Amino acid sequence: MSNLHLELKQMIIETLDLEDIDTSEIINDEPLFVEGLGLDSIDALEIGLALQKKYGITLKSDSEETRQYFSSINALVELVESHRSK
Amino acid sequence: MIEFRLESWAAMAPGLQTKEAWRDWLLHPERIDSPLGKVSLKQIPPLLRRRFSPLGKCAMGAILPILEDGESIPSIFASRHGDTELSLSLQKDMGLDEPMSPTGFSLAVHNAVSGLFSIARKDTSEITSISAMEALVLQALLEAVGQLQVSARVLCVVYDMPLPEPFSRFTKGDQFPYAIAMILSQTTGDSYSIEQCGNINDIIEPPSVSKPINSELKQINSEPLRFLQLLTDISSATDSQLNGASWRIAKVK
Repeated sequence: MSNLHLELKQMIIETLDLEDIDTSEIINDEPLFVEGLGLDSIDALEIGLALQKKYGITLKSDSEETRQYFSSINALVELVESHRSK
Repeated sequence: MIEFRLESWAAMAPGLQTKEAWRDWLLHPERIDSPLGKVSLKQIPPLLRRRFSPLGKCAMGAILPILEDGESIPSIFASRHGDTELSLSLQKDMGLDEPMSPTGFSLAVHNAVSGLFSIARKDTSEITSISAMEALVLQALLEAVGQLQVSARVLCVVYDMPLPEPFSRFTKGDQFPYAIAMILSQTTGDSYSIEQCGNINDIIEPPSVSKPINSELKQINSEPLRFLQLLTDISSATDSQLNGASWRIAKVK
């Protein structure tokens, strides 16, 4: 697991007040929403805001692309990496 | 005159959770300065639990002990100030030109606690959310009795927290967090009456109406605490003032 994987997991735990959840419980390729971690639509907005604050990434809230990026930790890592290499 | 039956009740404040503890404290009040301790919300799924602010946890701390899991019941939620701490933190973000937290924004409405409560319990019964400066308990009860005309049982919750700075210096409001939860019933429990008994200028001096027990402790002379004296049988009636009229809530013998 890369540092970025861990960094994003910690960001999710902190911004969403997931006090009882450890980074090891968030699986890289499992869904973050509904199944898997079980986050909801308000959490999605909150993660969007955190990505903007921390990495300067602005996402469209209703695009299919955004849906893809939010599908798992792996997808979020790809998003942040591609944004960095721009 | 209106009558209702009280099937069960529970109340919470820092260090006060049982009826016995409340009664002892109301008879021998001591200043409460400590914050609300940890409230167990085991009946609520963990992912929803994190959405409850200290105010919501306080309300749930009184509600959960008197409700069965899975029962559906209409409810009245009454709070004078609601989650002022949360609104203030959002206003601070706005003032600093920072983006607002979507979660914070969604929870800053006055009916957020009741909304979370209904989501957590998957109960789509009617909910009324009240904010009132005067006679909060009385107004909550009047609303609950209205709902009781079409429902066998109604949950009625009154809850508040002290205001944070800079608001606290402008109010004589509650000085510690508290919540009172009651289940009103058409058929079960002790009977209580609600009656309008003149305007404030009329002198009403019955023997058993609750009075501030300890004048040094102004904490105790609030409407919710006088109402708790009625619930714990320390008094047999309590008066509230509303829009210039005087109302009495009394236990029916």
